[in-house]
Amino acid sequence: MVFIFGVNFGEHKLVKKALERFYSLGPQKSARILARHYIHPRAKVGSLQPKTVTALTAELSTMVLESDARKLVVDNIKRLRDMNSYRGRRHAMNLPVRGQNTRNQIENARKLNRVERAG
Amino acid sequence: MPVPNSLRCLVRPSTGLPVSIPRTAASLGVPSAGLLGTPLLAAASFSTTSSRSEGASGIAKNHHRGGKKTFTVKKKAFVLERGKSPLPGERKAYRKRIILSNDNALAVPWLTDLGPAELSNENNVARVMGIPEEVQDQLRASEAFKTTQCWRMFRKPAVLVRKETVDLTRRMDRAAQNNEMLRLVVTGDKVAGKSLMLLQAMTHAFLNDWVVIHIPEAQELTTACTEYAPIPNTDPLQYMQPVYALKLIQAIKKANEKVLSKTFTRNAHPHLPQNIPANTPLLTLANVAKESEAAWPVFQSLWAELTAQGVARPPILLSIDGLAHMMKISDYRTPAFDLIHSHDLALVRLFANAFGGGLKLPAGGAVIGATSRSNAPRCPSLELAVSRREVEQRIEASSKAAGSGSGAETTATATEEVPQRDPYFRGYDDRVEAVLRSVEVLRVGAIDKNEARAVMEYWAASGMFRSVVDTKTVTEKWTLGGNGVLGEMERASLLSMRM
Repeated sequence: MVFIFGVNFGEHKLVKKALERFYSLGPQKSARILARHYIHPRAKVGSLQPKTVTALTAELSTMVLESDARKLVVDNIKRLRDMNSYRGRRHAMNLPVRGQNTRNQIENARKLNRVERAG
Repeated sequence: MPVPNSLRCLVRPSTGLPVSIPRTAASLGVPSAGLLGTPLLAAASFSTTSSRSEGASGIAKNHHRGGKKTFTVKKKAFVLERGKSPLPGERKAYRKRIILSNDNALAVPWLTDLGPAELSNENNVARVMGIPEEVQDQLRASEAFKTTQCWRMFRKPAVLVRKETVDLTRRMDRAAQNNEMLRLVVTGDKVAGKSLMLLQAMTHAFLNDWVVIHIPEAQELTTACTEYAPIPNTDPLQYMQPVYALKLIQAIKKANEKVLSKTFTRNAHPHLPQNIPANTPLLTLANVAKESEAAWPVFQSLWAELTAQGVARPPILLSIDGLAHMMKISDYRTPAFDLIHSHDLALVRLFANAFGGGLKLPAGGAVIGATSRSNAPRCPSLELAVSRREVEQRIEASSKAAGSGSGAETTATATEEVPQRDPYFRGYDDRVEAVLRSVEVLRVGAIDKNEARAVMEYWAASGMFRSVVDTKTVTEKWTLGGNGVLGEMERASLLSMRM
């Protein structure tokens, strides 16, 4: 088991997938982080040197991740709401924001488009 | 005197107490005949139902009236019987295993083993010859055998000596004699025997005490599946692949044990994990690489020693299969997220340098690369360079022939033009073209009918080909196999029964 940024990962997990476990890190960002540390894309967590793990943790600690990143999303929506923009109002009403039809198929919008969005 | 049984009839019946009074008698409060010890079962009406025929004992059991009882079959959780799943790595080991011997195949009595000069002897063309045990181990250590080849069908590995083989090995010998470097690309159609040609070159090298450094699949180096790290103080920045280097050193060590133990270091190598003084066998130096951290410095030292000028050194054969993979931009990334060119990977660069003519070996040697038709990324520069060199070689040969007097071929090739770059295509790679500018190209073509006959006689003698080998069958299989493409002939005659 290897600790990266306070999370325990199994030896056989791909480093790329381990990074993508953190909210706000997707395929693009994780690929770039790998390149920055000379880790090949198919590297497993178990094969990392301890100093690479430390460097990864150090890099992740400078990034906006997890609850901070979620808060950022919420803040952005809140800003829209506060300035009373159309998008903000649509968020507040749990309705599609980008001009979709609302006759049916708006389940995801109902779930996700809120001012206090979960994630 | 009260009988205990009669008192018992006053006790509240429960399941724990077996009471031997029939329901009717108990409800009437009549002391039954049970007191006298007569069998009570006689009072129960006859029934075939087991609950009824139990008689009085039924009372105690059924005095609780439950709800309606329904017969429900409990649904069993569905368990899929999978058997024992293979351990991690077991499947891959099974897939990658190399079987070189088949006890069910007949031993071929006339099969002789290869000697040091056999592969370059013209008289051996169209003969099948066995690979000696020792060389088998060496070839196996350097991963020259592949799973796609049919070694597992025969009693022992044997190869067909072809015209191309003799040509190739002679060029190798000439290079070693003149302390030069043979730079050669083996190309040809699908399953024509390019990898086998590489294997024959390696066999020849092993038999003649060369040092062989073989990369079985160039894609292992360039498809970003092994670790990489920058080499400090290099300009332009190069990258080492420590894990692969370790694997390579171990293969070199195992395959070339005999030669390396007879070759000694010229300089001391104090910077390695284990101090190596001058005049130590190279085998000891190679043994220093135990972990991947030390692998690259050890490889560098080993290579520096092998190429050291002014001391007795064996010739070196560098061979690589899947050439197109090393002639492309690799899948590795720089910290700036740019793709790294394969030739910036130090191990590949070593080969590229050798192909380009920038490598001087003390005792000569060869660098041979085989292209692949099945697993190869598109590499227009490689294709162009190979076709260009082929035409240039033909023109050179015809001009030589013209110089020696026979002018018949000159007219045939004079019309040929050296292929040029397509001006409207952008995918060429200058670095690749620079590397392949002056290599020799050996095209592995179809075998002729003599060779076909030799190889089919070997198949028949091994019991793998079950019909008479005569001109008709040879011609038939030769034709079926795309006019003598060896792999296709193998498919047509040996693998046709494969389930």
